[in-house]
Amino acid sequence: MTGCMGCARQTVGLVAVSMTTLVPPSYAQVDPYEIMDRVDQLYRGESSHGTSTMEVVTENWDRQMTMELWSLGNDFSLVRIQAPAREAGTATLKADRDIYNYLPKVDRTIKIPASMMGGSWMGSHFTNDDLVQESRLVDDYNIDLSFDGDRDGTVVWEFTLIPKAEAAVVWGRIEYEVRQADYMPLGVRYYDEDGELARTMEFSDFVTLGGRTVPRLMMMRPADKPGEHTSMRYEDLEFDVEDLDESFFSLRTLQRRR
Amino acid sequence: MSQSPWARIGMRNLGRHPKRTLLTAMGLAVGFFASVVLVGWSQGLVNQMVENSTSLLGGQLEIHDAEFLPERGLYDTIGGRDGVDLDQLLTRATSDVRVVAAAPRVYAGGLVSSGNSTVAGMLMGVDPEGEVALSRFLDVLTAGRLPRPGQNELVVGTEMARQLETEIGGELVVVAPAADGSMGNDLFTLVGTYRTGLGEIDSAFAVLPVEDLQALVVLSAGRVHEIAVSTQDPWVAEEVAVAVTTAVDGDVLEAEVVPWTELNPALVEYARLASSMYGVILVIVFGLAMFGVANTMLMATYERRREFAVMLAVGTTPWGVVLSVLYEALALGLFALVLGVVMTAPVMIWWHNAPPDLTGLVGEIEMMGSVVSLTMQVEYDVNFAVMTAAALLATAVVAAFYPAVRASRVPPADILSGL
Repeated sequence: MTGCMGCARQTVGLVAVSMTTLVPPSYAQVDPYEIMDRVDQLYRGESSHGTSTMEVVTENWDRQMTMELWSLGNDFSLVRIQAPAREAGTATLKADRDIYNYLPKVDRTIKIPASMMGGSWMGSHFTNDDLVQESRLVDDYNIDLSFDGDRDGTVVWEFTLIPKAEAAVVWGRIEYEVRQADYMPLGVRYYDEDGELARTMEFSDFVTLGGRTVPRLMMMRPADKPGEHTSMRYEDLEFDVEDLDESFFSLRTLQRRR
Repeated sequence: MSQSPWARIGMRNLGRHPKRTLLTAMGLAVGFFASVVLVGWSQGLVNQMVENSTSLLGGQLEIHDAEFLPERGLYDTIGGRDGVDLDQLLTRATSDVRVVAAAPRVYAGGLVSSGNSTVAGMLMGVDPEGEVALSRFLDVLTAGRLPRPGQNELVVGTEMARQLETEIGGELVVVAPAADGSMGNDLFTLVGTYRTGLGEIDSAFAVLPVEDLQALVVLSAGRVHEIAVSTQDPWVAEEVAVAVTTAVDGDVLEAEVVPWTELNPALVEYARLASSMYGVILVIVFGLAMFGVANTMLMATYERRREFAVMLAVGTTPWGVVLSVLYEALALGLFALVLGVVMTAPVMIWWHNAPPDLTGLVGEIEMMGSVVSLTMQVEYDVNFAVMTAAALLATAVVAAFYPAVRASRVPPADILSGL
């Protein structure tokens, strides 16, 4: 879910790109940095509020959670579990680079240490790092257009992102696939430092939520665990939420149970 | 030897220059002392590393599900999802007389938080009383007491306590992914702290009763990840592993019994490397001593050229001269061996039973998953001592061979005529 909030912002950014760029550039005009920068910039400063359902399927168990979520730019987000009842009220707050978890059962808040940023968020296949990732793609990665054309009946761009030498990032390579017609993301493939595929993210079910076209369903699949996945489906989503400012993303708000 | 005239001549000759004989013998004796003590000390260090590595926390054997290692997955409990009859398994695991103790363990990765500080660590569920009999890390707590089952109590390493900025009686929030997919979390009270000297353990292991950890991560009572087993001697672990495997066979589906030698192969390799160096030590020490003995024997035979010339002139064969010198060298070697044993034995007995502690000079050394207190602890190795004695005698004889041959080739007429 944490990553999905980032994905949602990214999606929003990509949607905004499609709204402001009426005619997709030709291959010769494609500037990967410009596109990724605009994507990055566009979902910074955006605010959102919505509800979503996360389904986690593992080898050992399946579970579904309903969550309410808020975000402000790339620095602030809050996710609160509404169901199942056993975990209702459990919440995660991201404020700047810090992540806090509120545990209603014991009525305590804990700060997630940096060493756990790669750890799973609530048993899902998303990591805490997916939530706090503040890196800008254009700053941390060298970006090349690696494909431009028809793939499975859809005209897409594929951008390959290789981390810069000094960048403190997790992945060894990222491949973004973007639909040219409306700048919708179709998929992201994450590779580790050894060049092995680590996980994939797929976007689908493009609908209008909050007045914008977004992929409603996002599916994260770990490469090393076939059959396991975490899906994130937005039930409703609104953008540019009024009165949602930084003060909302506080420990006090985190500890509200509903 | 006493029946041979050459032997009598050789041995008697040692007494002609008692100081020189003593000094030369001392060279060999010190070589004997250095070799035996150095190897004994090395073996003491290796044994200490093995002992600490296996008895401090891990145990000499581990029984766990075949899929448990290397990832140590939460779901890979002994007996699978159904678990096992723990009492029966423990009874069988301790049926071999060489087994000292066995105790169940449950592991889970998690977070331990106090105030604004949170530490990611390993939650280790143990049977506190059984663990004291099995391992050493909880034997003497630096503060507090062992946790009691059902009371939500735990102990942590001193370094973790420092990072959490907490003390005995402090409240800790413990969070861990549970087996049902939920996020297990509960409040615990810190009742004790331990210190192993290994930073990776003292900063990362929170220890609580196995029942409490099972409840936290939603594992049923019969589901444990490991039965740790301790043996009387770490070096019999592989043999005991076979015996324990037979004992528990049929009880536990797809369980395996793994000795420490498989869990920590680097330590085994280190022990082998150390053993392989012992021969090198002998070669270096006695190689140096050999030149000293050769020099002494060369001087001694040079001084006795007239004697050898007379012997040859009255009909002694050159081989007889060689033998007399070699017997002298052998007698020197035996004398040196006696000196060496007299020098070495008290020191070995002393350092074996009450080794000087050098920890104050260099502190504790952490290496290969073990913490080593630098003491002069030595181990007895009769085989190596015998090998060293043989090397000493061989050195004395071999070193004398060239002087002996030269002595047998003196020209009698020239020497006796004063040329």
